[in-house]
Amino acid sequence: MRNKNWKQILLFLLPVLTLFVVYFVYPLGFVFVTSLTKWNGIGSMEFIGLDNYIDLFGDATFRLSLRNNILWALIRAFIHIPMAAGMAMILARKPLGWKTTRTIIFLPNVISQVALAMMWLAIYNAEFGILNSLLEGIGLSHLAQNWLGNTTTALPAVIVQQVFYIGYFMIVILASRMGISDTYYEAAEIDGANILQQELHITIPMLRGILITTMTLALAYGMRHFESTYLMTNGGPAHSTSVLGILLFRDMGALKYGEANAIGSILIIFGGVTIAIIRWLFSRNDSASDAAQ
Amino acid sequence: MVQKGLKKLTAVDYIAKIGKWMYIIFFLFMTFAPIIWLVISSFKTNFEFETQPFSFPAVWQFQNYQNALQMAGLPRLFLNSTIIASCAMIVNLGVSAMGAFAISREKFKFNETILNIILAGVLVPIIALMVPYFKIVSSLGVYDTLIGLIITYAAMNLPVSVYLVHGFMGSIPIELEEAAVIDGCSFTQRFTKVVFPLTKPGLVTAGTLVFIYCWNEFTYAMLLTSSEASRTLQLGIRFFRSQFVVDYTSMLAAIVITMIPTIFVYVFLHDRIISGMTAGAVKG
Repeated sequence: MRNKNWKQILLFLLPVLTLFVVYFVYPLGFVFVTSLTKWNGIGSMEFIGLDNYIDLFGDATFRLSLRNNILWALIRAFIHIPMAAGMAMILARKPLGWKTTRTIIFLPNVISQVALAMMWLAIYNAEFGILNSLLEGIGLSHLAQNWLGNTTTALPAVIVQQVFYIGYFMIVILASRMGISDTYYEAAEIDGANILQQELHITIPMLRGILITTMTLALAYGMRHFESTYLMTNGGPAHSTSVLGILLFRDMGALKYGEANAIGSILIIFGGVTIAIIRWLFSRNDSASDAAQ
Repeated sequence: MVQKGLKKLTAVDYIAKIGKWMYIIFFLFMTFAPIIWLVISSFKTNFEFETQPFSFPAVWQFQNYQNALQMAGLPRLFLNSTIIASCAMIVNLGVSAMGAFAISREKFKFNETILNIILAGVLVPIIALMVPYFKIVSSLGVYDTLIGLIITYAAMNLPVSVYLVHGFMGSIPIELEEAAVIDGCSFTQRFTKVVFPLTKPGLVTAGTLVFIYCWNEFTYAMLLTSSEASRTLQLGIRFFRSQFVVDYTSMLAAIVITMIPTIFVYVFLHDRIISGMTAGAVKG
């Protein structure tokens, strides 16, 4: 049955569909297709099959960057998310000042990565940085160093800058936690369960869905990681903090557009495959446990 | 919470309580202390900043803020960012509201499919699209212009906005529109006179998120502009480091200035921002 308003419907959908096709559908196709070419962005493309990919995986810097991306993904999923979930569990019990705490912890999410990066550059600075001043102040001056200039400390330093900003996932998990009825906890309390037991046996199982979702997102974000590292170290020193986004940007600057898009494709595929695998794994598990009951 | 006052606290409860407060204080410290330190330092002399990093300034140097405004062309950058973020927000909301209206209020063959495809856009890692975005913006002839960034930002935020606005429109009773149709309202009037005004709270939420995103965006502001005339604030403060070689605390003042608008918005609209971001994440 054809809707009698179809002309207006089309007119209303036209802007959103046009922008979406131009900025999402076409770019995705473009990235995949041109990743199979040698192309400097201006001249003609030369089809070279999977050569860009083969070259990339043979390159030590690429493998190091990919390893760093995987490290970011794992740290986000298995350290960042549990820390956010912990805070959500605490704040859900509404301790003194919980709303203010929530507001402050979320605050960095409205500040730009540029401002945060410049702030942390001042913290990590080798000459006048407050991290070194702090260490000297408590008698640990032998630990003071050039945090971002040293291959052993640069990666931990850029990770620390990001990993404690738990605000975003905290509010997402907190919203779900607030949806759990108090009656479960009251019943558990009457049965003599202490707070830790309540969290372990009520909250975590009830939040299973949202925890899986946020961990999946966190894994995907780990693959996309770019801005804060670009701003603080630009991948250095000696590529120790490099990630795929930084290599992509660098290839683009060097007019290696085909290879840049091969990196883009890898980024998209890794993210997509991660999400698909986790979905499939858990939907299979869920139906298996449903069947067992 | 029954009989809480009467129950004797066990050892586990005590440990949990101490642990809880240490946890809260640790995260409050990690998030807030550096920002406070930054703001205080921005009022110091450079000598104080280097010699006494943790003290308050002897005399609060408001001069730093004047220096920042004069040295870095900050007013121009501020204006560019305001224009870009506001226009991108308006374009984005207009386009998403029209699309969401057609999808949510009319039944046609592919409306579910279209919605799901647009929402799947959040799964696309935008940084992987640097080359195509650069090519698209160049071939549209809007490279290094404010318009180029406005269109790009409006488009990048479509999936989230469509999701939020569509969800909000779903909660408006269809009977209101049926009554309007009986009163002789056309398709377009149903949108402009009935649904659009009622969707305002949803639009404010989506608009706030888009504005903050555009204000803070860095990567594409860097990639899609080259001249100072179309530079945004975020890009500008990247170049501050070379401009303020001798005057570090004025640079900190400049950074604080760039943070003010979004923090201001956050202070007034934090409930909306938080609820919008929560809704936006769970769809994944």
